[in-house]
Amino acid sequence: MSTSGPTPAGPPQVKSLSCPNCGASLTVRSFGNAITVVCDSCHSVLDARDPKLKVLQQFHASTSEDPPLIPLGTRGAIRGVVYEVIGFQRRTIQVEGISYSWHEYVLFNPAKGFRYLTEYDGHWNDVSILRSLPDVSSGGAWLTYLGETYKHFQTADAATSYVLGEFPWQVRVGETVSVSDYVSPPRVISSEGSGKEVTWSLGEYLGGRDIWKAFKLEGEPPAPIGVYENQPSPLSANVKGIWALTGVFLIVLLTLAVGAYWMEGDEQIFEQTFEFNTSAKGEASFVTDIFQLKGRTSDVVLATSADVDNNWIYLNYALINEDTGHAYDFGREVSYYHGRDSDGAWTEGSTTNTVTVPSVPPGNYYLRVEPESDPNKGIIRYTVTVKRDVPQASFFGLALLALLIPAGLITWRSLNFEHLRWAESDYGSSSTSGGDE
Amino acid sequence: MIRNFFLIYGLAVLATVSFAEYRGWSLNRVDQVLNVPKSVRDNPGSYRSVYSYYHHYTGGK
Repeated sequence: MSTSGPTPAGPPQVKSLSCPNCGASLTVRSFGNAITVVCDSCHSVLDARDPKLKVLQQFHASTSEDPPLIPLGTRGAIRGVVYEVIGFQRRTIQVEGISYSWHEYVLFNPAKGFRYLTEYDGHWNDVSILRSLPDVSSGGAWLTYLGETYKHFQTADAATSYVLGEFPWQVRVGETVSVSDYVSPPRVISSEGSGKEVTWSLGEYLGGRDIWKAFKLEGEPPAPIGVYENQPSPLSANVKGIWALTGVFLIVLLTLAVGAYWMEGDEQIFEQTFEFNTSAKGEASFVTDIFQLKGRTSDVVLATSADVDNNWIYLNYALINEDTGHAYDFGREVSYYHGRDSDGAWTEGSTTNTVTVPSVPPGNYYLRVEPESDPNKGIIRYTVTVKRDVPQASFFGLALLALLIPAGLITWRSLNFEHLRWAESDYGSSSTSGGDE
Repeated sequence: MIRNFFLIYGLAVLATVSFAEYRGWSLNRVDQVLNVPKSVRDNPGSYRSVYSYYHHYTGGK
């Protein structure tokens, strides 16, 4: 909705008349254009073209039964044109025994004619009559208009249940028309008709705040409830873009991973096989020869391979910088068990274990090793291997998840939005369309 | 708006993983001890590992 460059509507063309039924004064704002006008005191529907304002219908309703959110006579600019609210009606449909009502406001501009606003549960539409007919598919499942395809959403019989003000047609309370909606958010094309006469209109979704701003209404508009048939999804427009970005990011991530495995040294620095006599008494700890870690600060991967068989060995490791006395202290257990029971053969554990020591600066290092195991289990041989600058697949895996999860969430939320939209249609499940949202 | 946020987020993820790889970060837990005396090389038993009192698994199925 634009409020720039308003088209002056000129001074309101108001004519005061009296209701022939109750004598209350009537304000006719679109004199000469209205077909019917409703007395807001006695709710007589009057023939506006008759100089004597013949009573066409009377209906029983309290004036405060359904007060319009935009009072009659209020003026506001819609798409740069100033309109005045001259009429208000409530229409109701029945779906599976439940009544759903929405409100329609008749807007008038002497130069531009009539326009309409509809409101349902805080969702607004700016509606105008189509000048050309849409092309409806043979089964009625969709239609095209100005090159855009609209999907059939709902068909129902709508009854006018409350009227107020002026109307450019012969309005009657209780009058029923068949209404079909075809949606292509944020637009909706509706057909209304009874018998051979069908009126087509085009609506475009508006936020309540836009309406409040256009008509300079006080307070806040009612908060929209649920998802409306032509409400644009805040996320669906972004889904393709997000996945395109995700694709680019994944290519970059793959390039980084390939580059890491290609460029990083993965250099074996140290390897030695030791024996641990579990029957021996005394101090089991020892230190290795000094080895040099070169290059930048990077990771060190220490792999332990032991010939344990239904046995375990625990190794207290300390990777100690000989020059600075800075030690990286960690322990690793290698245990491997196997056997057979009523479930069949089983194994548990492994004869190898690997640990990555993060961010180790270059320097001269040695390992202090302290093996432990159950006593008197013989000799356990184990090999210790030290590698430098080894690519970590775990980070690439985490990055992959970190990139996919947001895109997946946005897609899920977008699909959920569409699910909620269509749950209210003729094609939704009855369990989700039962609530009067 | 959300696309710009995701662009920044994705770049941050890629920058983080690149830096983590470059600096050799790891998900493994390793304790650090400062000022280990040089005498440890001559007397390895004098060093007390923070994992000395680890409760060892003695199981199997």
